[in-house]
Amino acid sequence: MIQRKVRVGKQKTKIFLVDDHPLVREWLTALIHQQTDLIVCGDAETPAQALDDIARKKPDVAIVDISLKDGSGIELIKNISTLRLPVAVIVLSMHDESLYAERALRAGARGYITKRETAQEVIVAIRQVLEGKLYLSEQLKALFSQKFLEGNAATAGPSIDKLSDRELEVFQLLGQGYETRQIAERLSVSMKTVQTFCVRIKEKLNLATATELLREAIRWHESQQAK
Amino acid sequence: MSNWVKRLKHRSRAFYVSVALVIVIIVGFVDYITGWEFSFSVFYLLALGLAAWFVGTRFAFFISVLSVAVSLAGDFAAGEPYSSRFVPWWNASIVLVFYIVVVWLLAGLRKLYEEMEARVEQRTTSLTNEMAERWRLEKELLEISEREQRRIGRDLHDSLGQHLTGTALATQVLKEKLTTRGQPEAADADKIVQLVEEGITISRKIAKGLSPIEMEADGLMQALEELAATSSELFKISCRFECDSPLLIRDAPTSGHLYRIAQEAVSNAVKHGKARNVMIQLESLENGTVLRVKDDGIGIADSFPRSSGMGLHIMAHRASIIGATLTAQREDSGGTTVSCLLRHRDDSEKGPSG
Repeated sequence: MIQRKVRVGKQKTKIFLVDDHPLVREWLTALIHQQTDLIVCGDAETPAQALDDIARKKPDVAIVDISLKDGSGIELIKNISTLRLPVAVIVLSMHDESLYAERALRAGARGYITKRETAQEVIVAIRQVLEGKLYLSEQLKALFSQKFLEGNAATAGPSIDKLSDRELEVFQLLGQGYETRQIAERLSVSMKTVQTFCVRIKEKLNLATATELLREAIRWHESQQAK
Repeated sequence: MSNWVKRLKHRSRAFYVSVALVIVIIVGFVDYITGWEFSFSVFYLLALGLAAWFVGTRFAFFISVLSVAVSLAGDFAAGEPYSSRFVPWWNASIVLVFYIVVVWLLAGLRKLYEEMEARVEQRTTSLTNEMAERWRLEKELLEISEREQRRIGRDLHDSLGQHLTGTALATQVLKEKLTTRGQPEAADADKIVQLVEEGITISRKIAKGLSPIEMEADGLMQALEELAATSSELFKISCRFECDSPLLIRDAPTSGHLYRIAQEAVSNAVKHGKARNVMIQLESLENGTVLRVKDDGIGIADSFPRSSGMGLHIMAHRASIIGATLTAQREDSGGTTVSCLLRHRDDSEKGPSG
């Protein structure tokens, strides 16, 4: 491993690695050390150890894998956010962006890279978050802007208004985890009717699939709880 | 007939003992009234039969002797117009021997019958056990293959993927070193980085094919959406997924089997049915959940188990394992519809009103 002894002018930017795969840690460190102004100040395999070390070593950037040995990277990011540790987190994940990116960013991450593009993008991502920007891949940007244009990004408020009272009721129950049959029973209507409501809600909220409908309903329910 | 026998069998021995005795008394009485000319030996056989079949051989012999005695006593009481004193005794002996032969035959028949019944029962039990065992094994086999696939998928995703990531990073370091020194081989290193990254993508795709469903309740919906998308791309057809209201399946093996059924049905539709449009539907019904795969192909042959080979057989098997029923039928409009109905388990608890 390359250890640079020469300090150029100001202090180097400290990077902390959280990944349970030694080969990834080793070469990520090597890659980061190629940059004269960046240094890896430590690494960890488990979320618990990572949280300790990050609190102690105060790195500027933490690069976190989602699947870790004893837990999830998302939980670690949430803990970092809760403790208000001054560190910008970049998620590095084997998982598809569509699956975890949004959750990671909501938990407080500033960037999301899939391991597929790590080698070429990780330095770019570090620089970008150090400038205070978000780092998203082109695909992710496209996904998010599409969602934004479809009007169901983070502020789902206005489009919810388009729902009729009955539709809103169905939407709420979906968000609380009720299934079609249970909703039909609760509202004393047939299941066919509930399905028709669901189709109309999807149209009004511009949701393509039932999965999206469900996720949107859950998200809305959670945001209502938070208020 | 056998039902009738079974029903009779459930009565107690005492019941048959009294019935046999009552019959002997009644027949004996009638025998006495009608006088000595009429022979009633056949009617005593009824009592004899009951005794031999339901009570026991010894009691049947006793009834035989009793019948002969009653009949003889009746004859004597009705007067004795025989030419010789010897005749009634002779006749009685003949009848008694006849009765004894009948009892003996009945006893043998009964023994045979019981043996046969016991053997049938034994065979049925072992057959039932064997079927249950086979069903369990088949289920286990499918589960094992499913689990192995998931494991290989996970290994590919985690170990190999991570290893390749490390390799890409190492090559990137090499590339940057070469670039710093102004070596033209940096371009080669860059090419290798790209190749390794493609390798990561390939391993991810394989992993996805091996374990397509995320372990969440809405995983099946999501996986079927992806199945429709990849099938469209792969087979150059239009494959759509339709699901009006969100449908959650909390049992992971169940969603796994439903997914594989859908996958098999889509692939059958394309390969055997030459379909151009395939629709995968997932719907909640009053009595359960139904998965349908409809296509516009040439349609399956009418007799499905024989002509369609293993595909449908395995689909039906998967369905039976999760307690669902599978039907495949040719539509009048052309094309095939494969439906898999998974009934709600709690229906029986809720009763007909639920």
